[in-house]
Amino acid sequence: MTAALFNFVLRLVSLSWLTGPIFDKELRVSSRRRRNYVLRFAYLALLTMLLVLFWVIAVPSGQSRLYQSSRMAEAGQIIIACIVWFQFVATQILAGIMLSTSISDEIYHKTLGLLMTTPISSFQVVVGKLLSKLLQLLLLMAISLPLLAIVRVFGGVPWGYIVSGLCITLTMVLFVGSLSLFFSIFSRKAYVVIILTVLTLGMLFALIPLFTVMIFVNSDIVSENEFFTGLSYLNPYFCLALATEAMMSPRAGGWIAGLYWPWQCAVMLGGSGLLLFLSVLMVRRVALRQATGQLGASSSKRRPRRQDGAGITVEQAFEHPPRRVRGSAILWKELKSPLFGRRKLAFVISIAVGLILLFLTYAFFADTGDLDEDGLHIMYGVIFMSLGTLFAIILPATCITSEKESRAWPLLLATTLGDWQILGAKFAGILRRSLPIWCLLFGHIILFTFAKIIHPIAIIHTALLVGWLMVFLSGSGLYFSTCFKRTTTAVIANFALAAVVWGIAPLLMALMAEIDLLDFDFLESYLDTNPFVHIVVIIEATAGRGSLSNYHWIDYGNKGVYDTTAWMTACAFGYVFLGLLFAWRAKCRLRRNIF
Amino acid sequence: MIKTQNLSKNYGDLTAVGNLNLTIEQGDIFGFIGPNGAGKTTTMRILVTLLEPTHGTAFINGLDVRKHGKKVRRLVGYMPDFMGVYDDLKVFEYLEFFAAAFSIERRKRKGIVEGVLELTDLQSKQSATVDSLSRGMQQRLGLARVLIHDPKVLILDEPASGLDPRARIEIRELLRELKRMGKTIMISSHILSELEEICDHIGIIEHGRMVFSGTLADIRPHLGIQSKVRVKVTANQDKAVELLSALPPIREVEVVDDYISVTFHEGKEGDGLIARSLVEAKFDLVSLQPEQLKLDDAFLQLTKGMVH
Repeated sequence: MTAALFNFVLRLVSLSWLTGPIFDKELRVSSRRRRNYVLRFAYLALLTMLLVLFWVIAVPSGQSRLYQSSRMAEAGQIIIACIVWFQFVATQILAGIMLSTSISDEIYHKTLGLLMTTPISSFQVVVGKLLSKLLQLLLLMAISLPLLAIVRVFGGVPWGYIVSGLCITLTMVLFVGSLSLFFSIFSRKAYVVIILTVLTLGMLFALIPLFTVMIFVNSDIVSENEFFTGLSYLNPYFCLALATEAMMSPRAGGWIAGLYWPWQCAVMLGGSGLLLFLSVLMVRRVALRQATGQLGASSSKRRPRRQDGAGITVEQAFEHPPRRVRGSAILWKELKSPLFGRRKLAFVISIAVGLILLFLTYAFFADTGDLDEDGLHIMYGVIFMSLGTLFAIILPATCITSEKESRAWPLLLATTLGDWQILGAKFAGILRRSLPIWCLLFGHIILFTFAKIIHPIAIIHTALLVGWLMVFLSGSGLYFSTCFKRTTTAVIANFALAAVVWGIAPLLMALMAEIDLLDFDFLESYLDTNPFVHIVVIIEATAGRGSLSNYHWIDYGNKGVYDTTAWMTACAFGYVFLGLLFAWRAKCRLRRNIF
Repeated sequence: MIKTQNLSKNYGDLTAVGNLNLTIEQGDIFGFIGPNGAGKTTTMRILVTLLEPTHGTAFINGLDVRKHGKKVRRLVGYMPDFMGVYDDLKVFEYLEFFAAAFSIERRKRKGIVEGVLELTDLQSKQSATVDSLSRGMQQRLGLARVLIHDPKVLILDEPASGLDPRARIEIRELLRELKRMGKTIMISSHILSELEEICDHIGIIEHGRMVFSGTLADIRPHLGIQSKVRVKVTANQDKAVELLSALPPIREVEVVDDYISVTFHEGKEGDGLIARSLVEAKFDLVSLQPEQLKLDDAFLQLTKGMVH
C-alpha cells in the first residue's frame, strides 16, 4: 500500500502522466540533432551582437569615465529591453517553425495510428510534442537569464519588468506553439502551417485591433482609454510595449505593467488551453482514422468512396476527365498543380474575407481623409511587401524538398529531363504560386494609381523590385532545397539568409561603424540595397495626390526618377547575379542527396 | 547489356558495394539476391544514374553510366522499392507526365498510356488520384510507369513486395511477357521461390560483394554439393539400402522417413543404374526422383546472414 502510494506520488511529481513517453522520445531525438546546437549558437551570437551594438550606442566610447558611469542605468534599461524584445520575437518565430511539422510528421510517417494502439493518450501525444519543443526554447531563454540578472545590477530596471517580460514571452510562445501544432494536424506541408500561423497571429493581434479602432474610435460605445486597457489585456505585443515604456519612463514606475500583464498572460494561457483541447480532439480523430486505414499518408481528410460494378467510384464518374500534358512535362506539372490544394473552398472564402477586410480599411481611411497621406501607403506597402517576401522565402525552399519527402524526386531524376529544365520549371511554379500574394501589392498601387493618389511610375519601380527579389530568393531557396532533405530545414535556411542579408548584416555594420571599424557611408549605401528601404522610398516619392517628388535614399541622397531607376537597376543586377549564382549551385547539387 | 567492373560505393567508412563485377546478357532475367543491407539497392541506383560510384565503372548497353547519364536513363526503366507519388495527379496524368518527361511525342502518348494501363490492368483506375490507390495498385502503377518509354532494360527493386498472391502471379506473368519482348530485366526480391521460377541467372550479393553469379544449375558444383536422388520402394527397404551401398558411383545411402536418399560421388550420376539394379533384384520401385537444390538453401549456404 505504501509502495503503491509512493509510486503514485512519484509519478505525479515527475509529470510523466502529462507528457508520456513521447516527451522522452522527442528529447532523445532532439539531443542528436545537430541543428539544435547550431540554433543555440546562432541565437547566442545574434543576441550578443545586438547587446554589443546597444551597449556601444548607450555608452559611447571616448567620453569621460564620469559620463560613462552616469549612462550606466540607461544602458542597463536599453540592454534589458533589447534582451526581452529579442527573446519575445525570436522565440515566437522559432516556436512557429519548430512545431510546424509536429503532428503532420506523425501522420505522414504513419506512426500516429501506431501510437493509438498503445496506452499513450492523444493528450500525451499533443502535450509531449509541444513541451519537448518548448523545452528547447526554454533553454534558449535560460541562456540569457544570467545576463538579465547581471545587467540589472547597473540599476534602473525593476524586477517587475524582467518577470513580466519573461511571463509574457513564455505564454506567447506557448500560444504560438499551440497554434502551429494545431495547424500541423491539417497540413503536411510545413510552409503552409507557418504561413497559416503568421496570418492568424496577424489577424488576432494586428487586424482585429485595427478594425476595433476603426469601428469604435469615433463612437461613444468605447472610450479611447477603455480600448487601450482592453488591448493591453488581450494583446501581448501591446502589453510588452506598455511594460517597456513604463520601465524606460521613471515616472510611470511600472504600475501599468504590474496591473495588466498577469491578466494578459492568463488570456494567452486560456487561448493555448483551448487550442490544445481542440488539438487533442482532432489528433484522436485523425489517429483513429489512420489506425483503421481510412487515412492516406498524404491526405488529411478523405471520405470513403462508393464503388460501382465496374470498379470506378461513383464520385470518379462525375469528376473532371484527366488533363492532358502539354509542352514540357515538369513545367506542365508545376503550372497545373492546384494553387490552393484540396481545400479550395476554404481558401476562396479566406481570400474573399481578406479582400473585404482590406477594402473596409480603405473605406475607413477614405472616411478619415487619410488616403492621400504617403505614410499610410508606406504602411500598406511594407505590409504587402513583408507578405510577399515571406512567400518568396518559403515557396522556393519547399519545391524540391517536398518532392524528396514524397519520394517522387528519384523518379523525376531517373527520367531524361535536364537539370536546367527541372530548375526552370520549378522557378515558373514558384512565380505562379507567389503571384496571388504579390497581387496585393500591385493591386494596391494600381488601384491608387487609378485614384490619382500614387504616380504610375511606382508600378514599374515596384515590378523591378519584386522581380529581383523573386530571382534572388528563388535561387537561394532552390539551392537550400537541393541541400537539405527536410522542408523545414530548407525554409529555415532561406529565412536565415534573408535575415542575415537584410537584418543582421546591417546590424553588424552599424556595430562596426559605432566602434569606428567601418565607415557610416558604407552602412548607408548597404541599406540603400535593402528591398524594404526600396519600397518605402518608392512609395514615399510617388504617393500623395499622384504627384512625383524626389526619391529620398539614405546614402544616395535626393534623386529624380532616372537616377532612382538607374540605382534600382544596378541593385537588381547585383541581386539577380547572386540569385543566378545560387541557381547554378542548385544545378550542381541537384543530383546529390537524392534519397 | 549490363556490366559492372570493380564497382564500389562507399559512404564514409561504410562500404555499401565493394568491387562488384556483374554481367547480364541481353534478354535475360537476372535475379539479384542478398540479405538486407547487402548493397542490392545501391547497385541498382548506380545503374540508373541516381548515385555516383566511388570507384569502378558500370555500363548499360555499352554506355558508361557516369558519362552518358541521359542516354542511359532513356534506356532504363527503374522501379524503386518505394512508390513516389504526386498527390495531385490522376493515374492517367501521372503516366502521361512521365511519358512527356521521357520526351515521347504528344500524339503518341495517349495510345502508349492506354497500352501500359491495359498491360497492368489499371484501365478502371485511370481517373483515380495516385495517392488514393491501394499498395498493390500503386505497385502496378509503378510498373506501368517503368514501361512508359519502352526501355530496353528494366531494373526492378522488390516489385512484388506487398502484393497479394494473385497480383504476384500476374506480375510474374508480366515479366515473362516482357522477356519475350526482348527486355533485359534485373530484379531484386526476397521471395526467392518466385525468382527461381522466372530468372535465367541469379546473383547473390553479401556485404557489397558478389558471392555467386550464374544459373541455378551452376550453384550445386559451386557449393561442392553432390547429386542426390530419392528412391522409394514398397518393401524390404533395408535390403535395398544394402544393394545400393554396393554400387560403385554411390557414396552414401541413408533412410529418411519412408524413402532412401542416395548421394553420388562428386561428378558421378547414375539414376539409370539404380533403377536397373533395383528392378533386376525384384524390388517394387515406386519412385526415383532427383533431389532439387532450392534457391533458399543455396542462399542460406552462400550467405552468412550478416548485415552491415
